[in-house]
Amino acid sequence: MTRRIQQVVVVGADAPAWMAAAALLRSVSGAGIRVRVVELPTLLQPVDAHSALPELAGFHHRIGLDEDLLFSLCKAVPVAGRRFSNWSGAAPPFIHGYDRAPPPAAGLGFTQLWIKGRQNGLRTDFENFSLASVAAKAGRVPAAPKDAELHAAFGYNLDAAAYSALLRQGTIRGGVDSKVGTIADVEIEGDRIVSVILDDGERVEADLFVDASGPRAALIGRMPGADVESWREWLPCDRMLVASAKALKPLPAFSQISAFRHGWIGLFPLQDRTAVVAVYDGRETSDEALLEDLPALAKMPIGGDAIVSDLSQGVRRRAWVGNCVAIGESAFSLEPLDGAQLHIVHYCISQLMTLFPVGAGAFPEAPLYDRIIRRLAVNLRDFQLAHYKLNRRFDMPFWDGCRDAPVPETLQRKLDVFTARGRVPLNDDETFQEQDWESLFIGHGLMPQSYDPRVDAIPEQEHIAQVQARLNDIVGLVEAMPPVDAFIAGADDQRQTEMTALG
Amino acid sequence: MQQVKDVVVVGGGTAGWMAAAALAKVLGTQAHTITLVESEEIGTVGVGEATIPPIMQYNKLLGIDEDEFVRETNATFKLGIEFIDWRKRGSTYFHPFGVFGANIKGGVGFMNYWLRWVQSGGDPDYTHFIAEGVAAGEGRFARVPPSSDGQLPRLNYAYQFDAATYAAYLRRYAERRGAVRHEGKVVDVEQNSETGYIEAIKLADGRRVSGDFFIDCSGFRGLLIEGVFKAGFDDWSHWLPNNRAVAVPCERIEDPTPFTRSTAREAGWQWRIPLQHRTGNGYVFCDSYLSEDEASRLLLERLDGKPLADPKILRFTAGKRRLGWVKNCLAVGLSSGFLEPLESTSIHLIQIAIMKLFEFFPQRDVNPVLIDLYNREMDVLYDHVRDFIIAHYKVTDRDDTPYWRYCRSMTVPDSLAAKLELFSDRGETRWMPSDLFGETSWFAVLYGQGLIPRSYHPVANALSEDELELAVAGIRTAIRRRVDALPSHADFIEGCCAARPAATAA
Repeated sequence: MTRRIQQVVVVGADAPAWMAAAALLRSVSGAGIRVRVVELPTLLQPVDAHSALPELAGFHHRIGLDEDLLFSLCKAVPVAGRRFSNWSGAAPPFIHGYDRAPPPAAGLGFTQLWIKGRQNGLRTDFENFSLASVAAKAGRVPAAPKDAELHAAFGYNLDAAAYSALLRQGTIRGGVDSKVGTIADVEIEGDRIVSVILDDGERVEADLFVDASGPRAALIGRMPGADVESWREWLPCDRMLVASAKALKPLPAFSQISAFRHGWIGLFPLQDRTAVVAVYDGRETSDEALLEDLPALAKMPIGGDAIVSDLSQGVRRRAWVGNCVAIGESAFSLEPLDGAQLHIVHYCISQLMTLFPVGAGAFPEAPLYDRIIRRLAVNLRDFQLAHYKLNRRFDMPFWDGCRDAPVPETLQRKLDVFTARGRVPLNDDETFQEQDWESLFIGHGLMPQSYDPRVDAIPEQEHIAQVQARLNDIVGLVEAMPPVDAFIAGADDQRQTEMTALG
Repeated sequence: MQQVKDVVVVGGGTAGWMAAAALAKVLGTQAHTITLVESEEIGTVGVGEATIPPIMQYNKLLGIDEDEFVRETNATFKLGIEFIDWRKRGSTYFHPFGVFGANIKGGVGFMNYWLRWVQSGGDPDYTHFIAEGVAAGEGRFARVPPSSDGQLPRLNYAYQFDAATYAAYLRRYAERRGAVRHEGKVVDVEQNSETGYIEAIKLADGRRVSGDFFIDCSGFRGLLIEGVFKAGFDDWSHWLPNNRAVAVPCERIEDPTPFTRSTAREAGWQWRIPLQHRTGNGYVFCDSYLSEDEASRLLLERLDGKPLADPKILRFTAGKRRLGWVKNCLAVGLSSGFLEPLESTSIHLIQIAIMKLFEFFPQRDVNPVLIDLYNREMDVLYDHVRDFIIAHYKVTDRDDTPYWRYCRSMTVPDSLAAKLELFSDRGETRWMPSDLFGETSWFAVLYGQGLIPRSYHPVANALSEDELELAVAGIRTAIRRRVDALPSHADFIEGCCAARPAATAA
């Protein structure tokens, strides 16, 4: 048996690095494994925000983070989904709500009932059968009891620097040793990192290195066989602008994603401001021109703090090489269209925890980790790409190109099967589940041509009753949900009460 | 093409009647017709049949009353499979349905803690940590929900039944719901000259049965799927060389065990499936290593009760039909492929084909996109089951006969080789979340066959020795309490679902 892992070093910055360190602290440090962070210079600007999916709550639970702190310290706003507008010509916007798998109706998937209803003249739009979408439109936070049959969850818009600081503080307090520095050199023998040499001359050695350095890929980028497979041919946007605008009042319960001539613009409500993101094709428009158009496109004044950067999307051919494991954007990167950035980070971390190497020698876990991360990446890419593929903005070269370009076979199959039967064939390691894909496809105007023939066995009266009951259930549940401002105030009160009790 | 209204099932037997019963229930016979054609001249393969727990879903679809079903099919309950002489002569292990151990606070799978515990001197028989394994060992059984406080494990089970009475039971079910049976042999098939779709089959007596959709349950030969559509066959006999089985029922000599037994033999393995009224037996072997006569003689010699019939020989080739669904024809059962019954998957493969058919059932035109998806999804399932079965042969210490020397040294599919490597490194068994055989199954079989992981998840070391001992003892106590409260398997059957004398005579 080879020697066990004794020392893990996380190299990176910001949320990914501290998320990794916090998870390692919680799990493996109990087994006597030392965890250290080499903290590289931050990549964050004051305007940066995270827009995270509801699954982040599970991660917070595992690392023992009190979520009330997000609302009192990180300017957090809970959001029930994302509203997509201007993606489809004159079609009204739709909301991709964060629903949990809805219960069946008359023993079948509710969507199948809806499809038949639609074919027979039902006028109620699909999103009205989404608890999260209805909550989002009503400005409510889906914080219903988790054991309810119909259930939705909320995601988070967070101030990135404050979130990172919160994680950092908790992790360091928990006993993780950290060192601030920059990398002067990485000493590699074969496919193993022997040491990371810092600018002050310190040689940092470890049995396992976690690359949480984001798009810098400070370690994995130097490893053999870990070059990036670019997805530029599928995803044409290559520039990203971040800025901020005034806070919205009242706070909406969703983020807004609007397509425009050369890409899309996202508005992410925070307590103290609105984070603005524009993602576009730099071949179609210049940064200056975009900045000029931005207030009109965002329909609000934009602060003078805009920052533009290159955006490259793709996946590393290997995310784990020798004793170096990449997580988050060091492993693969996508534009923030669907809010999966932090999800990618904690999904990678959780796979690493599951496959935490048994020895410091051969790392037989690497190929399985690579396969999992690649599946995750491809599934997310396809979800994102579907927005572009299904656009109905005609007579604009960028959007016509997106619509006409072939898509990878993995996405084409989902599109074909959904068109044929209203069903979504899921793969392993999907971030988004059937209800998410359905919302995306139907929202962008893709209508299934047929439904499960078992629906025909349901008598018409019962069919109508099932549909009506679902609408009523949703209305009732949403009425009981707190508005966004009340929810935030409640979280804050909760914390005040706890502090008083402690004091 | 018109709306799919008339569905024709070609072939009876387990597959045919499972399909017809489900069609009659789900589609009904108001808007559809369900016709099954079978010939009494053509025997069915059905012998004593063991199943796995997902069969509950099929029974639930049909709304079958479990007690009635058990009575009518002479069924017994099954908690797993006992494997004898597989790792080496004299060895025994149990593959239980159910969950290995219980969650231990700290986050990694129980098997990691257990491996640590064994490395420090604990009892290496994992069966003590699986409730189904302990209950099986003591011949106990009852249907139990998880305890209300969540402290006691549940019991997962399936059935062992008489396949002939099962088919007869489903036939009654289907006919009551309006399915129509025709006796007769298919002699000709009519296809649409343009589309190639099957339009009708002709029977020996001249009758013509037309339909919109055809389900081929004709067995190995694949009358429609291969005979008409030449769907092709992936031959897997280099990995699974067994190509014969000899089967014979014998008198029951003791209360039926709540498990199936599989005993490795010189050129294959012998099954023993206890039913209420008799015991099903068979020897699955490869005829390159053992003749049919010799296998029959050895099987008869090794029965534990008086034989009740002449041994029946079955011939097959392991493999999968390349396409299980072509145009308006779906192959279900042996026409779609054959994997030996080592892990009791035959009925499961039938059931999944039927369930998927409903999901993809054509409204009007048969959509190539849905056919393609069906075929892909079935491929994934077949490959997974195939790998799991191959693992039993590849991972063994047996080298006492040419047959076992072949199995031990054969190359296995890359997908399996990768699994074996990671398992031997660290006991990892979480391959794909959607797999039929999950963590406990892979662990039980690979460990039982003699692949002992060199290491385990480091987090398992986070518990102190006292905490580990306490956790281990707590799980054993919970299992003990669960099993102590169970009646014997025979008493349980007597209490709820003993076969009627008429069925017993069947």
